[in-house]
Amino acid sequence: MTALLATLAAKRDRAAFEILFVHFAPRVKSYLLRLGASAALADDLAQEAMLTMWRKAELFDPAKASASTWVFTIARNLRIDAIRRERRPEFDPNDPAFVPDDEPQADARMVREGEDARLRAALTKLSADQAQVIQMSFFSEKPHSQIARELGLPLGTVKSRLRLAMARIKGALGGEA
Amino acid sequence: MTILHHPGDELLLSYAAGATDEAMSLVLATHLALCPQCRRTVAEAEAAGGAILEGDRPVLLSDGALQSVLSRLDTAPTAKSAAPLGAFTAPEPLRSYLGGDLDSVKWTNLAGGIYFKPLFQRGKSRSYLIRSKAGCGVGWHTHHGEELTLCLAGGYTDETGQYARGDLQSTTPDILHRPVADEGEDCIVLAMSDARLKFSSPIVALIGRWFGF
Ligand SMILES: [Zn+2]
Repeated sequence: MTALLATLAAKRDRAAFEILFVHFAPRVKSYLLRLGASAALADDLAQEAMLTMWRKAELFDPAKASASTWVFTIARNLRIDAIRRERRPEFDPNDPAFVPDDEPQADARMVREGEDARLRAALTKLSADQAQVIQMSFFSEKPHSQIARELGLPLGTVKSRLRLAMARIKGALGGEA
Repeated sequence: MTILHHPGDELLLSYAAGATDEAMSLVLATHLALCPQCRRTVAEAEAAGGAILEGDRPVLLSDGALQSVLSRLDTAPTAKSAAPLGAFTAPEPLRSYLGGDLDSVKWTNLAGGIYFKPLFQRGKSRSYLIRSKAGCGVGWHTHHGEELTLCLAGGYTDETGQYARGDLQSTTPDILHRPVADEGEDCIVLAMSDARLKFSSPIVALIGRWFGF
């Protein structure tokens, strides 16, 4: 999928777009449904996400993210915009005040072969406690304090579970844990 | 610039997941503009988001969705906007919220050497800037909710350490801290809070209430 998305960016290839649509649109719809969108809205936003993918394809950098990661960020931002009716503040790498990586080679995250599979495996191996707070972070809009209240846990416990899960994710990606 | 104080990984993960509110996201994104290290953590958490999306059980779209999108594909690709020129103290995304750089902010004097600039409120979360002259503290407050403070100019010191440009301080409920602005240029911080602040100085408390702290 990542190679196809790179093709889409380079050639504006409609055949590549159709394959990407068939793969990603139903996953984006599923993600939005889990976040509480109605079926009609999830359908609309999934289509909108695919249009955004087409329009912004030039901005996709296969060295920095896989296609599924990039589509996830598009879906996430559309959802915040449309459902929460808020802006999603993001940094701008072209801003003169932006501080670039000191050592681009050593510092920048590079996507490596097999990374998606390793990551999925790592996510399935999280402890039940860690998996629960990860799910609540990605599929609800709850701040840590509300997650803590709902689970009847001290705030510090929720935070440390999330930090441990994040260490597992870093480990699977080959970064420092 | 060496940043010593970073947000915890759990906050960066929530930002990547899209779970932080706009006020918290603004502080985190402004820190990210200054901090390559935390950008890397966010990219890693987004990769987890990608893996979760990939593993979701697909739900078919309505009939004709693909045809409908294909018929809308001819829109020209978005032209890249030219990067702005000049030197700025406030990085994006903060500068867009201010409508200019830090030197164009219209401050309101709270008391003594303390100036205040509210940015926005969404639900219970408030976003604001505070500017303090050297030696001034806000007499300071206890926190009832989550609060983040990002130093943008000058510096301040409290019981937990010294904070300079790019440093982010995260405080949890029931912490009483008394930050005091360091010598030198005025200290400017971007802050967010999801609960009313409680000031220990009565005069600041009075003015603070007027501003809806
Ligand atoms: Zn950082």
